[in-house]
Amino acid sequence: MDFKKALKDFWYGKPHTAEEGGRRLGENYLPKTGLYKHREWRGVKDTFYYFNYIWLYNYIHMVMDVMKYGGLINFAKGVWRYRWVGQTYLPVLHWFDRGMEGMRGEALRGSAWHYRAMVNATIYQFMSMFNADTRLHGGKKNDAWYHTMAMKETVWGGMFYGWRDKFKAVALEMIPYFVTCHVNSHTVHNYIDAVQSIGLPGDPCPMCQAESGLYVLDDIPDYSPFMITCNEACDGSVGTAILQDWFNDKPLFALQMPMIFDDPLANKFVQKDIEKCWKFIEDQTGVPMNFDLMCEYIERQNELMKFEWEKWEVAAKTNSYPINGVAQALYRIYQSQMGDLPIWHEVDGHVRKIMERAVRNKTNTFPNTRHRVIAWSCAPLYYSNWCTWAYNTWGLNVVINMDSLMFDMTIRTDSYENMLEDVAQYHMWAPMRRMAVGGMHHIFELWDYMERFNCDMVAMYDQLQCKGMQGVHGLFEDEFRDRNIPAFWIPHALPDSRTVSRAEMRRLINDYMTTVMHEEPLDPSLLELDDDMTW
Amino acid sequence: MKKFVKKALCLGGIGYAALFAVFFFDLDGKLLFNVVEPFLKNHYDNMERKDMLKTPYDMDKFPDYKYDEA
Repeated sequence: MDFKKALKDFWYGKPHTAEEGGRRLGENYLPKTGLYKHREWRGVKDTFYYFNYIWLYNYIHMVMDVMKYGGLINFAKGVWRYRWVGQTYLPVLHWFDRGMEGMRGEALRGSAWHYRAMVNATIYQFMSMFNADTRLHGGKKNDAWYHTMAMKETVWGGMFYGWRDKFKAVALEMIPYFVTCHVNSHTVHNYIDAVQSIGLPGDPCPMCQAESGLYVLDDIPDYSPFMITCNEACDGSVGTAILQDWFNDKPLFALQMPMIFDDPLANKFVQKDIEKCWKFIEDQTGVPMNFDLMCEYIERQNELMKFEWEKWEVAAKTNSYPINGVAQALYRIYQSQMGDLPIWHEVDGHVRKIMERAVRNKTNTFPNTRHRVIAWSCAPLYYSNWCTWAYNTWGLNVVINMDSLMFDMTIRTDSYENMLEDVAQYHMWAPMRRMAVGGMHHIFELWDYMERFNCDMVAMYDQLQCKGMQGVHGLFEDEFRDRNIPAFWIPHALPDSRTVSRAEMRRLINDYMTTVMHEEPLDPSLLELDDDMTW
Repeated sequence: MKKFVKKALCLGGIGYAALFAVFFFDLDGKLLFNVVEPFLKNHYDNMERKDMLKTPYDMDKFPDYKYDEA
């Protein structure tokens, strides 16, 4: 035994590449489950950082968040009543583990803060639901019920800033559906199967299926007197709204999203519709929209956008960007869709310090990068951490992704007219609309962003049940060929891990990297894994 | 006082080491995967649920509520 090497590995952690001895991360898993025989030894400094400032810190802060936002009793009642919280959110630290496998130094620190923010925002939302939920309070409509608004998850939370001093706005499906898929991919299957059991065919968008299935199984809290729905991203969401209207049986406003949105007339149309929505809320609550309050929170959100632009500059122009692909994508889409919250500012403060230190010290945060990758189109929710695997296995560093870039704007607050125009624009640039089913101009912004972020490869998501994106598959193939861009496809069915497994996605990437790129893996132990049962 | 501090430090050290063992050997994950999740799934699978298909689909008829109730 080489004691010198063993001591070095203990102190610094094993080196990444197979040539240097290798970490062989794939050998840490228990078969099928994705559980670890033991968590990774990252060297003394990073292992204890992970233990103290990620694992312990987040367990403690999760309990504190639950107590702060409504108490352990409400939480326990919610866990007992709703599958999506009990089955999904208890193993949340494993979500951290999967996203941060193999990370070291500043990349580990920066990425972990993003996860902390998402956990806080999730607890805030489900505790707000439970505090107001008539089902957890013996059918009683309490004060919280009267002061919580419910909207579809694809409606930007900022639409309700004008009532922030008196009302909370909580999305109907973001926590019961969207976030669950990332943390425990099995929960959502119940909801997809439920809606198919009442006669829906299996081929519509599985997002819309899952959202509707929550209602079929009577698994949505009753936390608000009314709701706002939306046809975003597509007509599948119209179907969801019809079922929600039926099962929820509450006053409903259907906020519209035009299919063509670069047209100024479409913007005018949406402005009018947003005003109608605000009028609907005023009619329901008796409280008009407060313009000053709206502007105050928009300004706070603009600060988040400005920091995001700083982050993008660092990601594009240096090798010192301390955020990995999955943390970048999930944090940004969560923050920009949900709207302003104190935790985003707190975390951005921490990340700023880490990022500035990395830039100052010229730290190469992903030292085994072979390709700078841009990920485009809608990502597989059940395998959002594929990019962590791809970096560890092949040195594919996903620098930026489509979800991060959708709301690439600040909102003016100098007048009501300008504010409304920009709010309409923001609303129309919604997830899966601007760069998925939103037309050729925006979907082909890929080429500009590729150049801007200095990327040399594209990871192209292929959502098999999105009819809009299936329609442009061939056009992308042609463009990749004409432009001589290395690109690989990742087929998936958004939340449904049964259609294309994680193992299948990895196999396709492995095939591309060996047969097209003729490259050798950095860590061969990760090539083939049986993680079928993993969260 | 000295004895108390020594005892507290000792207990703290043992607690910290025990938590590190839970962390390092993924005992939290193993407990949640093998015990907690199957138990909760069994509970959710056997819960009595409302038949949502029996909900009437009326237009413009909603359960009453008033904001001055709050």
